Amino acid sequence: MDYDWNVSLNRAILNNAPKVDKILRENPYINDIARDLRERKLEVLSDIDTYIKRTEESVKKNGGIFHIARDSAEAMNIVREIIGERTKIVLSKSNVLYEIKLREELSKEGMDVWETDLGEYLVQINNDMPSHLVAPAVHLSKKRISEILNENLDSTINEYTSTEEMVKKVRDFLITKYLSAEVGITGANAVSADTGSILLIENEGNIRMDTVLPSTHIAITGIDKIVPTLKDAFNEVIVQAANAGFYPPTYVNLTSGPSATGDIELQKVTPATGPKEFHVILIDNGRREAMNSDLKESLLCIRCGRCYFSCPAYRLYGKEFGTSPYTGPTGIMWSAIVYKQYDKSEMCMHSGGCSVVCPMQIPIPKIIEKIKFKYTG
Amino acid sequence: MVEVLRERIMKMKDMVFENLMDSLLPFPMDTKLFSSWTSSLSKNKKTVIYTSYMYQISGILKKYEKLFPKIYRINMPKKLISLSKYMIRPGDSELKRAFNIINNISNLLKKSNVDFGYLYENEPYSGAILLESGFLYEFKKYGEKLRDFFHEKGIEELITIDPHTTNALKRLKELINFDINVVNYLELVNFEGSGEYVIHDSCLYSRAMNMYTTVRKKIDESGIKLDENYLVTSKEMGICCGGPLSLVSNKDSDDISKMRAESLLTVNENVLVMCPLCYENLSQHISSIKDLAEVIS
Repeated sequence: MDYDWNVSLNRAILNNAPKVDKILRENPYINDIARDLRERKLEVLSDIDTYIKRTEESVKKNGGIFHIARDSAEAMNIVREIIGERTKIVLSKSNVLYEIKLREELSKEGMDVWETDLGEYLVQINNDMPSHLVAPAVHLSKKRISEILNENLDSTINEYTSTEEMVKKVRDFLITKYLSAEVGITGANAVSADTGSILLIENEGNIRMDTVLPSTHIAITGIDKIVPTLKDAFNEVIVQAANAGFYPPTYVNLTSGPSATGDIELQKVTPATGPKEFHVILIDNGRREAMNSDLKESLLCIRCGRCYFSCPAYRLYGKEFGTSPYTGPTGIMWSAIVYKQYDKSEMCMHSGGCSVVCPMQIPIPKIIEKIKFKYTG
Repeated sequence: MVEVLRERIMKMKDMVFENLMDSLLPFPMDTKLFSSWTSSLSKNKKTVIYTSYMYQISGILKKYEKLFPKIYRINMPKKLISLSKYMIRPGDSELKRAFNIINNISNLLKKSNVDFGYLYENEPYSGAILLESGFLYEFKKYGEKLRDFFHEKGIEELITIDPHTTNALKRLKELINFDINVVNYLELVNFEGSGEYVIHDSCLYSRAMNMYTTVRKKIDESGIKLDENYLVTSKEMGICCGGPLSLVSNKDSDDISKMRAESLLTVNENVLVMCPLCYENLSQHISSIKDLAEVIS
């Protein structure tokens, strides 16, 4: 086993797992909310077309622009059309953006594209891939991060530089990128069908910048992220944050359209201070097919990443357990849905901790058993 | 880069499935020897203790795992493979230990007034390896054959003694019309014990079959003291012994066993298991390790 990986992982488990357990014990209502959320998400999965239509109508009603993409290529074409001649792009952490290879594609086309989540930024400048849904740079030790920043950002950074100082240097750099950005691209933790709102949780404050400073905000996410109501969407981010070990989350960003003001005779005028354009792109990429198969419950995943640390295969293989960004137990399901890749399922030992900790009660080992069957059947 | 060798997995599937459908055994084995732990149980009972040979063969599985790549590479003739039952045998002390465990479970059942018999050398294997490798089609096909076999023998209830067999049979109830009652010995017996241990839970007992709390309650009541640590022994954070990974890689499987052993030893140097395969994997790295059925009476 790789020594650096083992050290980084053990520190992460020690910092995270007892904290999540404490959060859930001290706030028992979170598990009640999670149980309700599971039922609400199942309703959507059983009638996806109705909910997509409802979301579209709600987004349009708010002055947003709605798009639906069958696959990555279609999603990227929509993005290119929206961006047009603009070249300065900031991104917030999103697995769907990796799924459609957005940064890779736009960078190849000569655009100035920057990840603004610290972990994703480190992954970007290290030409790496995320190793965890919530903590993409969990595989990098502080010493390795200092080397990466020394080589790519500031040659005064070394292994003795404090974490606080490293964070400040990255922040100073990213501020220049926020201020010059023309387009901000994000994912979404949840999309409410009744109001057409997207919710994004974070702790760094970068998403707030990404979604407000550029004149155009594009939110790209999977059709599985639709929930019936705004209340359900808030529930989803609460459950996600708690199970990721960040509770309460520092920021919850809600966007329901382009910026607007009603300060002059209460007449709604758009844009105001924030973006003048708000686009929602919902992508299928195998999700609809999964909804009609024995992988259906995989789509309940809220990407809290809690299953990772309970999994022996992830502890051993790290980001090789799955197809990045979809790694870990949930990543085996998502690699099957999105990439039709089944081979890594054979590394699963059916240890079962993943399903014990899953707030959506997804029977992950049984689903992986079916993915194994797709591989060998 | 980790490589999953599909061809190797498929070859294993074909070999095991063929053996099971031919002989109700995953590979050639000396069933007369493996069933000789008792001679006093009736052959004509509707309820039987069902070992599925798990305790008896756990010590030689690793030898088979090592042999398998050779069989796979040179395409060894079937006749030669069948001789392996005489060549690959557990050591005397291994077999003695397995027999002691099964006998102790059998005695605990008798003490709890359970009336049961035994199929001796006619006992078939459960098919667990097919299920755990994701060979669902083959598992269901074999499950039908297994059910028909038990019907022919007039068996109505199976008392299982290990997690893999218990899980496989309970899953057959979900997947096919497997109408034979399945009960694990831990559900039937009460016991006494002593000593202080850290427990390595069987993944199947604790998480797949949700027996984490009930097993702990029985152990607590027995007089045995268990040391707990959330990151090591909780239902959420306890992990596998690495055994099932040997299909992909023996080295990776052993890496997991070593990792698990190291974390258990931070809690207590005396480790308790409830599965013959967990014992086999962890005992490579832990000197003081016992099966629950070795320390209770």
